[in-house]
Amino acid sequence: MLWYTLKRLLQGVITVWFIATATFIGMHNVPGDPLSGERATNAAIRANLEARYGLDRPVTEQYFIYMRNMLRGDFGISYTQQNREVNDIIREHFPVSATLGVLAVLFAALGGILFGALTALFRNRLPDYIIMFLVILGISVPSFVFAALGQLSLVNINSVLGFSVLPVAGWGSVSHMLLPALVLGLGTMAYMTRLMRSSMLEVMSSDYIRTAKAKGLSPTRIFSRHQLRNAALPVITVLGPAIAAITTGGFVVELVFAIPGLGRYFVQAVQQLDYTVIMGTTVFYGAFLVFMVILVDLVYGWIDPRVRLQ
Amino acid sequence: MEKNPIIRRLRPEDLAALSGQSSAPVLVRPSRSYWQDAWGRLKANKRALVSLYIIIGLLVFTFIGPLVWQVDPALQDIDQISVAPGADRGAIVVDAFEAWDGQAPAPGFAAGDGLSLAGQPTTQSVKLQWQDMAGADSYLVYRNNFVPDNVNTLGLPLMQISDPSQRFYEDRLDLRPGTYYYSVAALDAFDQRTGDYQTVVADVIRVITVNEVRTRNLVDDPDALRPGDEVRLSWHPLGTDYLGRDMLARLMAGARVSLFIGLLAPLFFVAFGVIYGATSGFVGGRLDSVMMRFADFVVALPFLLFMILFQVVFGIGPGESGIIPMLVALIILSWPATARLVRGQILQIREEAYVSAARLLGASQNYLILRHMIPNTLGVILVTLTFAVPAAIFTEAFLSFIGMGVAPPTASWGSMCNEGLKTMLTHPHELIFPAAMISITVLAFNLLGDGLRDALDAKMRSTE
Amino acid sequence: MSANVSNETLLSVDNLHVEFATYGGIVQAVRGVSFSVETGQTLAIVGESGCGKSVSMQAVMGLIPMPPGRIRQGSAKLRGQDFLGKTHIDGKAICGDEIGMIFQDPMSSLNPTMRIGDQIAETLEVHRGYSRSQAFARAIELLELVKIPEAEKRARQYPFEFSGGMLQRAMIAMAIACKPSVLIADEPTTALDVTIQAQILDLLKEIQQETGMAIILITHDLAVVARMADKVAVMYAGQIVESASVDDLFYKSAHPYTLGLKLAMPSNRSDAANQLQPIPGSPPDLFSPPAGCAYCARCPWAMQVCQGDNPPPFVVGDRHYARCWLQHPQNERDIDGLYRVPAEQVADGPSGSAKGSTV
Repeated sequence: MLWYTLKRLLQGVITVWFIATATFIGMHNVPGDPLSGERATNAAIRANLEARYGLDRPVTEQYFIYMRNMLRGDFGISYTQQNREVNDIIREHFPVSATLGVLAVLFAALGGILFGALTALFRNRLPDYIIMFLVILGISVPSFVFAALGQLSLVNINSVLGFSVLPVAGWGSVSHMLLPALVLGLGTMAYMTRLMRSSMLEVMSSDYIRTAKAKGLSPTRIFSRHQLRNAALPVITVLGPAIAAITTGGFVVELVFAIPGLGRYFVQAVQQLDYTVIMGTTVFYGAFLVFMVILVDLVYGWIDPRVRLQ
Repeated sequence: MEKNPIIRRLRPEDLAALSGQSSAPVLVRPSRSYWQDAWGRLKANKRALVSLYIIIGLLVFTFIGPLVWQVDPALQDIDQISVAPGADRGAIVVDAFEAWDGQAPAPGFAAGDGLSLAGQPTTQSVKLQWQDMAGADSYLVYRNNFVPDNVNTLGLPLMQISDPSQRFYEDRLDLRPGTYYYSVAALDAFDQRTGDYQTVVADVIRVITVNEVRTRNLVDDPDALRPGDEVRLSWHPLGTDYLGRDMLARLMAGARVSLFIGLLAPLFFVAFGVIYGATSGFVGGRLDSVMMRFADFVVALPFLLFMILFQVVFGIGPGESGIIPMLVALIILSWPATARLVRGQILQIREEAYVSAARLLGASQNYLILRHMIPNTLGVILVTLTFAVPAAIFTEAFLSFIGMGVAPPTASWGSMCNEGLKTMLTHPHELIFPAAMISITVLAFNLLGDGLRDALDAKMRSTE
Repeated sequence: MSANVSNETLLSVDNLHVEFATYGGIVQAVRGVSFSVETGQTLAIVGESGCGKSVSMQAVMGLIPMPPGRIRQGSAKLRGQDFLGKTHIDGKAICGDEIGMIFQDPMSSLNPTMRIGDQIAETLEVHRGYSRSQAFARAIELLELVKIPEAEKRARQYPFEFSGGMLQRAMIAMAIACKPSVLIADEPTTALDVTIQAQILDLLKEIQQETGMAIILITHDLAVVARMADKVAVMYAGQIVESASVDDLFYKSAHPYTLGLKLAMPSNRSDAANQLQPIPGSPPDLFSPPAGCAYCARCPWAMQVCQGDNPPPFVVGDRHYARCWLQHPQNERDIDGLYRVPAEQVADGPSGSAKGSTV
């Protein structure tokens, strides 16, 4: 297990290194030198950048400077906002995205497990049909459409009721978070519901559930002690991809709901070609996602005894 | 000991031996090939079948649609901007515009006590006139879509009229059919509002000049038109967008882009994945482990992040649509899943008893590949392909939505959603139509994929 | 409780009918099965796969998912009290408390993510109201009872850390935790190595002798029957076609199907006469069971009557019954190897239908 953990972590480090390198190479191949463009004509910014990155030196040397800065956790200064460190941007905006993301993952996982179990228990009956219809919708509708439609219907609900049920956009209180988090988690929730349903059906028809019945356990005890736990285990394995989906989905949801998260900032940086911010956030997001996936795998191994002890 | 209860007496012929018995099992059902069987199962799956029809309908919409609906998707209809489907498209013919000098209001529009209209408000112009307000040194003219409750809700003025003797105004700014609330507020000599203001309601009707009718070819004989006649503006069955472009035509153009990426990218990366995975699985050994390590590595890259990065680096040059870079990026980042799957299948089939049996019977390597490997992986590949299409369409839509996909003016469903978002609150149809197209397409391919998987999955066949 | 023979009928099942609704129609899996078992006795139910032997026991235990399953008629009595469709009688649970059950594949029959000890303890917590630690301590004792070495350590392990034989022992420990009066063993040794099989069977016997519980052993292995059973019921296509004491069944087989099973069983003599003879054909489709004898299509001695009329259970000896028209007193054919009722035992009467009797 320890060996496995180390191996995974090493793999993760190499992946992040590749991401950083690819980002560097990519940014240096953008048609036209980023510094000669109209973006950074300000002499102060230019001097600052040249000193920092050794832009007058050969590319290989620049690469080593870049990597050294990265290793020290220094992502540089924004091109478009003078004197704003990328680190500050991340420090300021990432907690917002993380809050939203954690809430969305919670929505998705709990909702998925609950609805998935429900559909399996009511297999081929009305609740199953209704939820599975919604699930198919959830899988087929992009998150930005959910975001827009959610906002649109909230505007209408607020105007019909004459008071604000939930704020339509912005950030600050828990009420600001609810709709964006729900919208963000919806697609993943749909996937997890589907997975949980098939996993639950498999568990329900398994031999050990028959054994549990033969032991005379009540249906509630069988559900809580045997079915729910075993059926939910495979759902945990997709948490890694789910976190990735929710993180990137956060880009558009933050955009639509005007949430000052790192995702919105990243998209804006991309649209404004703010190279240092793009490079910094890409590497940051890349490292975050890679290590989240590893973390989920390790947690799964720790929870499932079959994996833990092998 | 227990005795038998009364047993019925048998007839002698009852005891005769039964002849002509055959214990050989009788084949009842006709034998069908794998693909016939799969097709039969797919046909029995109503949802999959409906999805198949929807996909065929989509292809017709995309490729035959533009032949039927020959409207240029880039053409702007400035009389009908952000028009909802089914909106009234009548317009009254009027004379060409002539500037108003503030004199001679139209009959029936005599100057009233305060602010009043001086003529029928039209999309050509709205004429306002008002009486002197006490202490006014100049006036501010406001236009709102709602009744202003007090002087503070007036918002930004349209115009400041500094000559207090000029008590009229003609509004020509971007007028649409509908109701406007015009207000005039008085300012004192120090440009401070006196608090005195008046409001009038203007129900603006749509008008068109003969010249415009002629250039847009709306009627056969434009010279026969007289002011006051009604003409019908060009028809937009699904309305127009914020630039007055026909939604239906744009949806068709967008479908070409979205389906181009959505179909072509999966075709390429699945093909590459199949070749890569099959090679790796066949050759085995060191090459296999190196190839798979590399595939694992590509899988570990955060997909959308790299798509965005790729688009930043190669995507958006001036005058480029950004379609080809997206296609390339999709292919580069998406192949490993297929490769892993195919390799797994090949390794599994290689170990199957029937392959060993064939090998023992002297089958050549080529025969094994042609007769066993390919037919047995084809189903899996087909299912992968079907599920890859909605994923690619999703990716395209996502990137275009955040402005990192196809560049304007090229239309794709995602970029249309992006544009529709801006006018969502007032004109939701501009968002809902492209969003519905994405959702229906993805839904259809997902359900077809489900159906195909159920139809082709050999394991499910045996547990029927 | 001392071993053996109070001759009290402990569990009796009467005229049980079970069917399943499937896409293809209704499958009549069990068609009027009756049997009984006494304290300390072992009843073996034998038959090929799909004959309804497991289904009838699962129906009795209430383990059949309904729908699609349905018990159309019949009764199951424990000490005279009908419990079919109930979970408790006299405040005692049927499943796990009065009747224990073990299954064919111990690997898949235990929850893979739960410790063995906890799974055993669970029964005691539910039926005996033990605390968690009490129950776990008892679980360790039970594991010792079924001869699992290092029981204390083993109780904290998971099923995948056990071998197949060990798992089956754990299953037995679980099933006997509440000292049930009946143990249903559904093919307990099928998934195990032959050497392990013998150990498990010996263990069952030993526990039976200590506790006096009745065992209902479901198997398709006649060798296991010969080793374990006091009486035997042979099932075919949802019905019991022959039932007898174990000696009678082997030495006085009165049904062609039993005879066929015996001939298909390997023996340690290797002369030509003892070559394995498979039974040709396959069992009938239970979507529409034949009107007559279900074995008719495969029976080498089938008669005209077999095709149209299902034979009643003929009494062929002391507690020995066979559903076969060959046992009819009017039939004069003697078949090599097939036991026939001595004529003097048959009361020949006027025409009428034989009443099904409890086996």
